[in-house]
Amino acid sequence: MAPTVVVIGGGATGTGTARDLAMRGFDVTLLERGNLTHGTTGRTHGHLHSGGRYAVSDQESAVDCIEENRILRDIAPHCIEDTGGLFVQLEGDSDEYFREKLDGCAECGIPTDVISGEEARRQEPYLTEKTKRAIRVPDGALDPFRLAVANAADAIEHGARVETHAEVVDLLTDESDVTGVRFRRQGPNYLGEGSEGDVETIEADHVVSAAGAWAGQVAAMADVDVAMAISKGAMVVTNVRQIDTVINRCLPKDEGDTIIPHETTVLLGANDEPVDDPDDYPEEQWEVDMMIDVASEMVPIVENARMIRAYWGVRPLYDPNPGETEDTGDVTRNYFILDHEERDGVAGFTSVVGGKLTTYREMAESVTDHVCDRFGVDEPCRTHEEPLPGSRDQSILEEYMDRFDLRSPVAKRSVQRLGDRAPEVLGSEDPNPVVCECEAVTRAEVRDAIEDVGPDLNAVRLRTRASMGNCQGGFCTHRLGAEVYHDHEASTARDAVDELYQERWKGQRHTLWGRQLSQAMLNHMLHATTMNHDADPGLRGDTVDFAAFDAGRKTDAATDGGSTNGD
Amino acid sequence: MREQHRADEADRRRRTTDGGVAAETADPGQPDPVEVFPEGEFDLRPGADDCYKCTTCETSCPVAEVDESFPGPKFQGPEQWRLKRKDEIEIDPSITECSNCLRCDTSCPSGVGLAQMHNTARGEYVDNQLPTLSIKYVRNRILANYRTSARLASVFPRTANFVMNFGPVRWAMEKVLHVPSERDFPEFATQTFREWWAERGGAQVSNPDKRVAYFHGCYANYNTTEVAKAMVRVYEHFGYEILVPPQKCSGTPMFANGMLDDARRHAVTNVENLVEAIEEGADVIASCTSCSMALRNEYPELFDIDGIETVAENTFDALEYLRINEDLQGAIQDATVSGEFAEAFAYHAPCHARNQGLDRQAIELFRDLDGVQIEDVGDSCSGISGTYGWKEEKYETSMEIGAEMFEHMEAAEGTTGMTECPTCGMQMEHGTGYDVHHPLEVLEAALVE
Repeated sequence: MAPTVVVIGGGATGTGTARDLAMRGFDVTLLERGNLTHGTTGRTHGHLHSGGRYAVSDQESAVDCIEENRILRDIAPHCIEDTGGLFVQLEGDSDEYFREKLDGCAECGIPTDVISGEEARRQEPYLTEKTKRAIRVPDGALDPFRLAVANAADAIEHGARVETHAEVVDLLTDESDVTGVRFRRQGPNYLGEGSEGDVETIEADHVVSAAGAWAGQVAAMADVDVAMAISKGAMVVTNVRQIDTVINRCLPKDEGDTIIPHETTVLLGANDEPVDDPDDYPEEQWEVDMMIDVASEMVPIVENARMIRAYWGVRPLYDPNPGETEDTGDVTRNYFILDHEERDGVAGFTSVVGGKLTTYREMAESVTDHVCDRFGVDEPCRTHEEPLPGSRDQSILEEYMDRFDLRSPVAKRSVQRLGDRAPEVLGSEDPNPVVCECEAVTRAEVRDAIEDVGPDLNAVRLRTRASMGNCQGGFCTHRLGAEVYHDHEASTARDAVDELYQERWKGQRHTLWGRQLSQAMLNHMLHATTMNHDADPGLRGDTVDFAAFDAGRKTDAATDGGSTNGD
Repeated sequence: MREQHRADEADRRRRTTDGGVAAETADPGQPDPVEVFPEGEFDLRPGADDCYKCTTCETSCPVAEVDESFPGPKFQGPEQWRLKRKDEIEIDPSITECSNCLRCDTSCPSGVGLAQMHNTARGEYVDNQLPTLSIKYVRNRILANYRTSARLASVFPRTANFVMNFGPVRWAMEKVLHVPSERDFPEFATQTFREWWAERGGAQVSNPDKRVAYFHGCYANYNTTEVAKAMVRVYEHFGYEILVPPQKCSGTPMFANGMLDDARRHAVTNVENLVEAIEEGADVIASCTSCSMALRNEYPELFDIDGIETVAENTFDALEYLRINEDLQGAIQDATVSGEFAEAFAYHAPCHARNQGLDRQAIELFRDLDGVQIEDVGDSCSGISGTYGWKEEKYETSMEIGAEMFEHMEAAEGTTGMTECPTCGMQMEHGTGYDVHHPLEVLEAALVE
């Protein structure tokens, strides 16, 4: 019988690890306390690193990045937009550091190309006139949601079980060794057995913690000390793209100086501030302002661009030499496999910490190698050559580009999101109206996501991008709710709508000025006033006294709703 | 904090937006190391940023009202722009279903430049996706370049009038060019306005203090010369010196057909000559509300030509200009109309007049005029939208949109139509059989004769 392994954490690393373990024959269960990508993965910058960023200060990470960058382009093309990247040197920025960056890239095997400021501005017209020159690197934009979902889907295809809204509350131990996990269902389980509040246990031969910033908390359940050096970063989302290339500032001290085009938007970020608790840290306005100010130095029109929201993420950094680094910015972005048997005398338990979204696959491979070692499994890793679902047949993208009877930009966006799953999802003959106009998401795609994740509209959002555009759900939350209602109770649909609407509001609060303020006000009028969502008797559980209403007009009323008085 | 200069900034950017068509000559005095907007590209970010999806534009769209498969102005403008990735996604062909009435542009409470966005998208579609050998392209090019055909026809106007409405010719045009045989081609005047102007020896009034430069456009020159002549007599009655500068098509039909290169070529001539007239102290007036709309709104939104802002700022509709600068209301109150124009009029305000805020001017003016009755037939679109209704595949949509106007015209007291727009006039006549006149003709009857 195959050894059983529980993987804790449904981010890129966790889903990647579950996939790798399942592909190598383990009996895998993945537990995630929220949606997939609920933790750090869903709150990253979505930067497919070339490694250029770390080429001077952290070369080990840089080498990992460029290697994984190449692999991801092969196995996950539908999660990547190949934007290319620039390190820009502005007037006054150090020539010496520019040179160091170039040398560093060369040492790490990162291909570069130096271009003049004029050429850089020809490529990106909104770059500041102060651009002196730039280094071209193979950066890109990586969709973390699509990536994690594809990994989870493939893990399931290889026999793994994936449980979301399942929070690990304890590690089962025998003496000091870990023998399993206890988890609590944080939400109703529409797709499987069990319901909200249920506490269940899973016996396992091995437990892998891929809990990222939460790895310290998980380890503590087995009385193991993993001192994480976590830090928060703010990211701000613009409404439209000001640039189409990843722009980095070529400076040694870098905070908030990366601008990444992502789908319809651009992400500005991120700062680097140490925090203690990954679940409780302040989200401050000065951070948002700083992101805009720093980005505006490179791309001045960002200053006055419409911002639709801001969000914060927590880096799962691990400092192997605590006390020696002064600043979280200097903590290595490298990853570590912590073998708790060897390190702490606790068998049956391994943590994988540190690392980057770009290197998630390598982290998964390393921790899987480690588990294979434990169990004497001699199965080679295949995740670097086996494309992820959606990325298996890219020719389909071209072939299906103009089909499905959709408007051109809607068809293209949908197919880009779905990859080779497009025909399966969009191929039906049924009417397929656009549900989310901002991001061009159709009913078929929404229904497909609901089939996959149940009536959880935030999970639907992550899969489809519905509600992630400029109206932030103002015009589609209720439409999405109507799709939930199709297969679920009305009260379930109402809750789902409420949850999504709240989540969208959360991020908008930080960018409420100018146009987004108008948008928020309009959304409020639509939802509170027109739809009565802030005092809906149906939501308050009151019974409506229908008898209090009159019976309406008598039957000889004009059918067109006009007056019957002879005119 | 950021919002104070946000609005100003958007405004500024909109104003300095370069046209979708590259300037033919660069200004050697201007250092321009980087071509920020290469040929065919606009910066439409402000438009996409300003939209908060309220859908007011959709409810004002006459095409969406009758054709539920049409995705509407919000999609054609800000949504499509935002979803397009640089150099990647093509324009949805539904952009050609837009009739270019531009009601959306005026209706937007957030100031989104829908006209600019639609014109750009249409230009891109025609440039990149409509094969230049296709019948539609050829037909649209002919329709858009009405001036060229009209000029030829005016050499032998009587022959042209006979041939253009001759059954077998129309049958062939429908089959080959997809021009609907239901429509009657407009009649060509036996003498163009410019010929008439030359024959009468140009301006009869000389007045350095009151000068106007007349942009007659194509239709008043080749077809309804009586409108142009009425304008001349009315303005001279008020003591204006009239200049008639050399000019070409305003570009309206070219914008509507995505032929931005053609439009730009004509605009260069127009701007050059109108700027010269403005320098001589004239304001520009037009009797066609689509022409004035093009000079005022579309020109600065689409092209970067020296002096184009000056032209936009100094252009007026002919009636509007008199209402601003003369006591027209007083003159009307003292006047009486008898004879041909002593009629009850069913007045339709063209969309392009509406977009300039001129939709009530004729009603407000003529309701005080003795001998004349005037009734507004409502705020619906006539449906023809210039060349739109001249396409076989759009004919039915055009007539469906027009149905409300026809119905209201029938219900109105009068059996004579009135409008400022030549093609609205065609549609009104086509749908009801009424004769249709221009307000200037009535004004002439009231004040001059």
